[in-house]
Amino acid sequence: MADFAALFLADLVLGLLLGCVLAVIAHGLNIIWGVAKVVNIAHGEFIMLGAYGAYFLYLYAGFNPLLSVPIDAAIGLAVGVGFYFGFLHRELRGKESMGLQSELVTLVSTFGLSLVIVNVAQSIWEHPVGILWSPGSAQIGPVLVPFGGLYVAVVSVALIALTDLFLTRTYLGNAIRAYTQDIPATQLMGINPTFVAAVGIGMGFSVTMAGGALLTVWLPTGIDPTRIGILYAPISFVIVVLGGPGKMWGSLVGGLTIGLIINVGQLFLGGNIALATAVAVLTLIPILLFRPEGILR
Amino acid sequence: MRRLSLRALGPTLLGILAFLGVLAAVAGWMPLVLLTLVINLLIFAALAYSINFITGLTGYVSFGHVLFMAVGGYGLAYGVGTLHWHPVAGVALGALVSLALALGIGAVTLRFRGVYFAIASQVTALAGFYIVLEIQELGGGQGIVLNVGFEPIAWFYTIWVILAIEVGITYWITHGRLGYGIRSIRADEDAAKTLGVHAAALKLVLFAISGLFAGAAGGVYYWQGSGIFPNDAFSLTFSLIMLAMIVIGGLGTLLGPLFGALAVYLSSQYFLTVLIGFEFVIIGLLVIVIALFLPEGIVGTLRKYVPELRGLIE
Amino acid sequence: MKRALAVSNVHKSFGGVRAVRGVSLALEEGHVLGLIGPNGSGKTTLLNLIAGLAKPSKGEITLDGRRIDGLAPHRIVAAGIAKTHQIPRPFLSMTGRENVAVAALYGSNETRDLPEAMETAGRVLGLVGLAGKEDVASSSLTVQQRKRLEFARVLATGARILLLDEIFAGLSQDELRDAVALFARLQGELGFGALVVEHVMRAVLTVSQHVVVMEEGSKIAEGPPQEVVQNPAVIEAYLGPEAGRAPP
Repeated sequence: MADFAALFLADLVLGLLLGCVLAVIAHGLNIIWGVAKVVNIAHGEFIMLGAYGAYFLYLYAGFNPLLSVPIDAAIGLAVGVGFYFGFLHRELRGKESMGLQSELVTLVSTFGLSLVIVNVAQSIWEHPVGILWSPGSAQIGPVLVPFGGLYVAVVSVALIALTDLFLTRTYLGNAIRAYTQDIPATQLMGINPTFVAAVGIGMGFSVTMAGGALLTVWLPTGIDPTRIGILYAPISFVIVVLGGPGKMWGSLVGGLTIGLIINVGQLFLGGNIALATAVAVLTLIPILLFRPEGILR
Repeated sequence: MRRLSLRALGPTLLGILAFLGVLAAVAGWMPLVLLTLVINLLIFAALAYSINFITGLTGYVSFGHVLFMAVGGYGLAYGVGTLHWHPVAGVALGALVSLALALGIGAVTLRFRGVYFAIASQVTALAGFYIVLEIQELGGGQGIVLNVGFEPIAWFYTIWVILAIEVGITYWITHGRLGYGIRSIRADEDAAKTLGVHAAALKLVLFAISGLFAGAAGGVYYWQGSGIFPNDAFSLTFSLIMLAMIVIGGLGTLLGPLFGALAVYLSSQYFLTVLIGFEFVIIGLLVIVIALFLPEGIVGTLRKYVPELRGLIE
Repeated sequence: MKRALAVSNVHKSFGGVRAVRGVSLALEEGHVLGLIGPNGSGKTTLLNLIAGLAKPSKGEITLDGRRIDGLAPHRIVAAGIAKTHQIPRPFLSMTGRENVAVAALYGSNETRDLPEAMETAGRVLGLVGLAGKEDVASSSLTVQQRKRLEFARVLATGARILLLDEIFAGLSQDELRDAVALFARLQGELGFGALVVEHVMRAVLTVSQHVVVMEEGSKIAEGPPQEVVQNPAVIEAYLGPEAGRAPP
């Protein structure tokens, strides 16, 4: 019994640490969704690109994932703006939201994009590659706390807090928030909706790719293109829905919840992390059925 | 009871039936390489028509359709490998299990709209993958190895029948009362309900049909092979190919899925010889370009901009 | 006179907002009831409750004595009640004829045959003054034409009670006169009952046999049209407290 309690506690802590990183990669999706009112199906692949970015920096500059964060974020910003103009601008162009046909178009085109990216990555790297970074760990009571996991969790929460500050305390940030709620009003205030939307999307991708860099700590077997996007996109989606689409701190609540379900859940499923992950992702269905606005009131 | 004249069926349906008729007539004389190509083309066309029911006609984008194809394949593998049935019975088993699964899943997920439905479909496919890994009767992570004979003529006629039925059902839907209901759902589901359309029931019917035929086509697909292995069977690339075919061909049209299958399958065969590994990149890029710039697909765009063709192709 | 539709003490709350508070009304067979009141008084919500688009928090809605509250929208249509939308929602990818054909095929009128439905659709479109526009894409219709299309659609369902949400809005004097005349004629010929939510007073007072006035979710007056407009509470609701006390 004491053994079980120890395991439970350890998994609890790990679940919370993992949950912080899941929160930040979901946060990127949350921002993009709020701004464009549409979901980027290739979200998982952009997380992967962030992870590969961290890998490159590790390989050629010896950077650990934490140091890669600002660089990945900068790249993400550029990528996001490009994505906006490539995929969204035609359909959105200052409108409130896309029509049904446009939503279908975006869904299908981003689905195509995700598989393009995966297949390109598969062609380049035949085997998963990973980052070796072991800053050590500390034994606190029954729990072995990995410093790598701890550091990225802290940075993750800091990133979410930073974006929240930006969106609420800066002029541009508030303009973005206004855009997500009422486009005609922002236009009346003299704000260029295209510029705001592009920056908003850029920010979303920035957080996503930074999150990808942080995620590498939790990928002991490396970055596997056939697995990573397919797994972390639905996870991000579930987190956003769980916390409530558009609610900024919902990402953290949702992320921690999913992190806990995965890590504590596997304890009850005979150590089968894959199954625990499947269960975590399946919570989407009951949430959509019974509480589509998320668990945060 | 109205007299059904052959001409009233329309040039598109007649054209497709003629095409199928010719294929059936010459199948026995085709060189093996060509026959194999044709069989796979028909399988992909069947998959295209199957996803056309739910995505093209009804407007619900299904990313997880690979699930039904895989279930069909497992049905065949289990039927032949474990139950020692004739492969056609195995295909039927796979199709029926797919149908049941589609009814069960659809009853829940069709309550969601747009992107929620799309992701829910992806999630159910993912869940299906993890569940199959745990089922030992289906080979768990190793899959099922098959030792069926080499029977191209049987493969041909089985998929031919499946495809012909699908084309017929697609025609019947698009030309009948059900077609109007489905189109109204696709155009504006809530407004449709206020006119008396029982949207939930209609959507479920179409989703079930789409699952049935994806399962049937999957069954034939795996009948040709040496077995079914979960890692490959649940690959989202199949979902992409299915979507690519109807997006390129033309969503919700009669000719679109066949056209799209020709375009996608034939080009993938060509790229296979030239750029191994890159064919899905090209297909993905094509999907992006067509979805963004020609959202009605080739058939839809032709109909829109060339009025003379409207009477001919649908 | 048979009582067809009865709304009994119906309440509806959305979260903390009480949109409809204990409203009761009755519609006789083949009669027209006008539902008026300032913006936000709950009129459209009430229509939505009758049409099955929302479920009452309390109270009952019956048709010929049979309870219909809480039924799904398509069942309400099958029972013979059909509602238009305040802002027209045509099926943009379909022509006018196809739009109306959907209504004919799925409404309560028992048409299941496609050619017959198309013919009915053409006929109904002619009735509402859209002859010549049947086979044009509905996306190219003007707002006024779309309003007529909305009306044609509910007519084609064969409904015996129409719920009409501001169909006379935004018309010029001449257009209004024609529209009211058309409505009165069709109502006389086809004999349907109707619940007409309106802001255009002239229209509502001309076509209705009975008028119900709502304010902030409650019914504040009802009676024959001429009586209701002189009711001080009604005047006050529209024009403010001073106007209610001013001499008529």
